Amino acid sequence: MPQWSNALTLFFSLMVEAMPFLLLGVLSSSALLIFVDERRLLEAMPRHPFLGALAGGLFGFLFPVCECGNVPVARRLLVKGAPSSVAVGFLLAAPTINPIVMWATWTAFRDQPSVVFLRLGFSLFIATIIGWVFSSQVDLRPMLQPAVANAVVPPSTSLLQSGTFMLGGKGQTLSRFDTSGVAVARPAGGDLWVRIPLVVENMVQELRELGGMLVLGSAIASIVQVGVPRDVILSLGQGPVTSIIAMMILAAVVSICSTVDSFFALSFASTFTSGSLLAFLVFGPMIDVKNIGLLLSVFKGRAIVYLFVLAAQLTFLLTLVVNLYIS
Amino acid sequence: MMSVWGILMLKYWVSGQIVYLLHPDYMWLSNTAGIVLLAMAIFKVMRRMRMSPLSSRPKMQHASLLPQGWSTSLLLLVGLLGLWYTPRPFASDIALQRGVTDVVAVTRSQPQAFRVSIKPEDKSIVEWVRTLNVYPEPDEYKGQAVDVSGFVIHPPNLPENYMLISRFILTCCAADAYPVGLPVKLDGEALKGDRSGYPADEWFQVKGRMGTETINDDRRLTILATEIESIEEPRNPYDY
Repeated sequence: MPQWSNALTLFFSLMVEAMPFLLLGVLSSSALLIFVDERRLLEAMPRHPFLGALAGGLFGFLFPVCECGNVPVARRLLVKGAPSSVAVGFLLAAPTINPIVMWATWTAFRDQPSVVFLRLGFSLFIATIIGWVFSSQVDLRPMLQPAVANAVVPPSTSLLQSGTFMLGGKGQTLSRFDTSGVAVARPAGGDLWVRIPLVVENMVQELRELGGMLVLGSAIASIVQVGVPRDVILSLGQGPVTSIIAMMILAAVVSICSTVDSFFALSFASTFTSGSLLAFLVFGPMIDVKNIGLLLSVFKGRAIVYLFVLAAQLTFLLTLVVNLYIS
Repeated sequence: MMSVWGILMLKYWVSGQIVYLLHPDYMWLSNTAGIVLLAMAIFKVMRRMRMSPLSSRPKMQHASLLPQGWSTSLLLLVGLLGLWYTPRPFASDIALQRGVTDVVAVTRSQPQAFRVSIKPEDKSIVEWVRTLNVYPEPDEYKGQAVDVSGFVIHPPNLPENYMLISRFILTCCAADAYPVGLPVKLDGEALKGDRSGYPADEWFQVKGRMGTETINDDRRLTILATEIESIEEPRNPYDY
């Protein structure tokens, strides 16, 4: 019985701490959806593959969305003719490189500032490298799902094509931007009183969907902490290699949103190596089970396997270096 | 769903149970979130009353592992569970599971202000442990007066005439609470001589002098207790 009580206390402590950040996340993602027109930003994107990937990664500062929100945005970028390096860089880095996630990570790991900085650095590095690799494929269309590929504006034509034809794509309903039509048919004019209710509506919707994942993630974290014997966790969490692999698998399975995943990781901070915590924080936002469903709405399986393998290897190597040489 | 969570978070605030869950620096976040959630719930209700169901916009879909309805009901159920359940601060079982140390790991909380001028008898357990971290030679503190409060742990590897007096330290929320403690030797006069007189999880004020004892081949700073008094559990059991 005290076991249950401890697990519940832990669970609610995680929930109460993560909820404000989840709220902030859905607020900004909804505001972005209703207020920002990403087409203008695209025109300013550099064309060089390396710079493009870097810029795509830093794009997250303007689009503070977690990994659930960034796939639809990346998809819109692709369809509107963004270079592949920009889109892939954005896809991988945006969930981590954004002010809300940075604040949440800082809150959780106040005592270990290195975790915060290394998380940012590694995410940007990996995203840039992979974006660069993908840019060798100048025309991404063979790697995309047919519905998306058909909608892509070939790199040579004007960026200012109307975006409405993406709605014709085989009636796919995976992205909220398609079915809601909000992003396309934004209310004309700057009438705040029309837009604010839309923002709140979208917040409610996202909160409902993402909150469930948060509940599951926190529950797993607290049960593992209380239920699994300490020496098992310790033996797994102290090895420089095993701890990283364990945390990466956990990150992929738990699929917790990047706005709140630092609190999840925090609950393992006393038993796992800091390299493995970093692996969780870097790899989780890039690829996880929940995300694969979303990614499949854009890329073909082959491209996702490339993404997955590249991201996993880079994360593993970088965090292993941290474990062996830094901490 | 939102109203339940809003009420839950405000309940933690009003009842003061929030101190069991969060570091005080972050309580305002949770309190604000509670208010925002309630406001969103009210907004939803007002919208629903004004609009007929037919005129509402088509439902948006957002791919996620859980089907839409599931996620909402899960949140609702958990919120109700939270309203029913009263959180409890951690006790010695968690402390033993996590391992009590008199060493604050280097990566963990660094002392924000290191005050040497503080009188030894004013130091709390946490301050003692931090001091010990900076200068770990136990003999340095020999004979200094001690007056600390905390809860009792009976670690199985300590002899019967020792116990640990401990506190949990929080850096963010209860998920990262970790225990620190100092051994107490119970051989002084007027003490019961063995720890069975001081049950685990009870709170005590321990007065005495510092000394060095060899416990399990390990030289450790130990409180040679002269006076142990039972106290109420403080309203905020954690230290920061």
